[in-house]
Amino acid sequence: MALLELDGLTKRYGGVTAVNDVSMRVETGEVRAVIGPNGAGKTSLFHLITGIVPATSGEVRFDGRVLSGLSSYQRCQAGLSRTFQLTSLFPEMTARENCRVAAQARLPRRWQPWGGAAVFAEASGRGDEALERLGLTSMAARPAGLLSHGDQRLLEVAMALAQRPRVLLLDEPTQGLSVEETLTAVETLAGLFADGGLTVLLVEHDMEVVFRLASKITVMHRGSVIADDVPSVVKDDAAVQAAYLGGYA
Amino acid sequence: MTVQERHPSNKKIPLAFLCVAVVLALAPLGLPLFAMTLLTEALILGLLAMSLDLMVGYTRLISFGHAAAYGLGAYASGYLLLHTPLALPFAVLAASVLAGVVAIGVAWVCTLTKGVSFSMLTLAFAQLLYAVAFKWTSVTGASDGLAGIPRTSGPFGVTVFQTKNGYYYLVLVCLLGAYLFCRSLVGSPFGAVLRGIRENEAKTLSLGYNTRLYKIAVVAVSFALGGLAGALYSPFAGFANTELVFWLFSGQVLIMVIVGGQGTLIGPILGAAFFMLLEHVLSQYTESWALFFGLIFIGFVMFAPQGIWGLLTRRARV
Repeated sequence: MALLELDGLTKRYGGVTAVNDVSMRVETGEVRAVIGPNGAGKTSLFHLITGIVPATSGEVRFDGRVLSGLSSYQRCQAGLSRTFQLTSLFPEMTARENCRVAAQARLPRRWQPWGGAAVFAEASGRGDEALERLGLTSMAARPAGLLSHGDQRLLEVAMALAQRPRVLLLDEPTQGLSVEETLTAVETLAGLFADGGLTVLLVEHDMEVVFRLASKITVMHRGSVIADDVPSVVKDDAAVQAAYLGGYA
Repeated sequence: MTVQERHPSNKKIPLAFLCVAVVLALAPLGLPLFAMTLLTEALILGLLAMSLDLMVGYTRLISFGHAAAYGLGAYASGYLLLHTPLALPFAVLAASVLAGVVAIGVAWVCTLTKGVSFSMLTLAFAQLLYAVAFKWTSVTGASDGLAGIPRTSGPFGVTVFQTKNGYYYLVLVCLLGAYLFCRSLVGSPFGAVLRGIRENEAKTLSLGYNTRLYKIAVVAVSFALGGLAGALYSPFAGFANTELVFWLFSGQVLIMVIVGGQGTLIGPILGAAFFMLLEHVLSQYTESWALFFGLIFIGFVMFAPQGIWGLLTRRARV
């Protein structure tokens, strides 16, 4: 059984079908990339998986459990941690505090309204570990809002990682980065994934990033899946090339 | 923005707090009675402003209806003291709990929305309560309000709260206790989530926190403490009237929080004292004292958004 399964997932906004009958299976330990041109429905798909918007039809199964009807925070509690296409952090908190708050969300006493030294210690430990894995330890004491854009993108990944997710969902991790920043970020992520143990679903439109990171690729075009295979096969797929080259070839 | 690490669970009670507590405790020895009356009222208002700070300063929930908490507490404790044999501290406590419980329902509705809509709903609820206070003659006394609210004796024959200074100590203990409670709350894991909501609610939600529940909880606590302030006020003043629930008063409390320094707990207490002092002084010279206070408020917003407490601590750091 796959860890994350999408079955006939569809989202319509009025007459527009953003996501059209998408099915997908993500196995444990797999790094799966969803690619496609702008407007292909990648981010919409993410919103459906994480419960930010409800699906029109179809369902998401996580570890055999149907997620329909669960809100976004409940899906996160179930083990899906995500980053956003537009960086979303706590700008006035330090990088360490950002990760601490993220890790705290997974502790049973996260809501404790008094004291909490033990909760903070446990959460900080997990947070610091995540910072280290993304090479951000030297930035730990800086307010997140003052980090470079590249470090902010990585910090968001660190926050998701600090939650020890069962599936890590990354929405365009290199969005808005310069060429050098992209290189650094991609190498950092490649190192992270090489350690194994993570199941990753990432959305990206930069093909080089995808071929460097992903072990499986799903290609979307106008809301539908047009290819789903290992990178070498996807690269040579006629339909994929047509979609990326603009259409009617 | 401070670069230094903030330690969330700082359990030490600072020396400054003890000093202030001792000075306030000794105040009745040195101050004349009318000054004690002013000081008591300032502490009550300080408690109210501090309770609002939990919402405004720590969670970025801007309430335009905090007078509702005060009025609820004031009417409830007044009613209990007039019509039941409940001893004063228990009546005050019961009124505070009532305000907190009502707040759960109010917050449940208000947190369906965010931002300005949230603020407008709090205002609407407060005005609803104002209308109730105006119409429900048998309980609230309508436009006359509740008059002759006694400071009853008890429990166990304790009569100390009947004296002005004794009552001052009751207020002081409530304020100091509430301050320590709030400090512990904002420094706890719960408080860390509130900060998350303040800085980025969407992110906090996506990290797996049920943010709405946290918001309802903080509104309930804020209302319970604001209700405590109101419950202390009506036996102190001897009356409760609709002015205590009016939107104008909600605005004034918000101003106290902002002028004092939001997100600091102590700042709003100072803001309340500052507001009272200025009202007292300015109104001796002009009837339009509110105009001048408005100018001062604008000055703070433009030139010292950190408020009085921000100015004081910045000076201390240099």
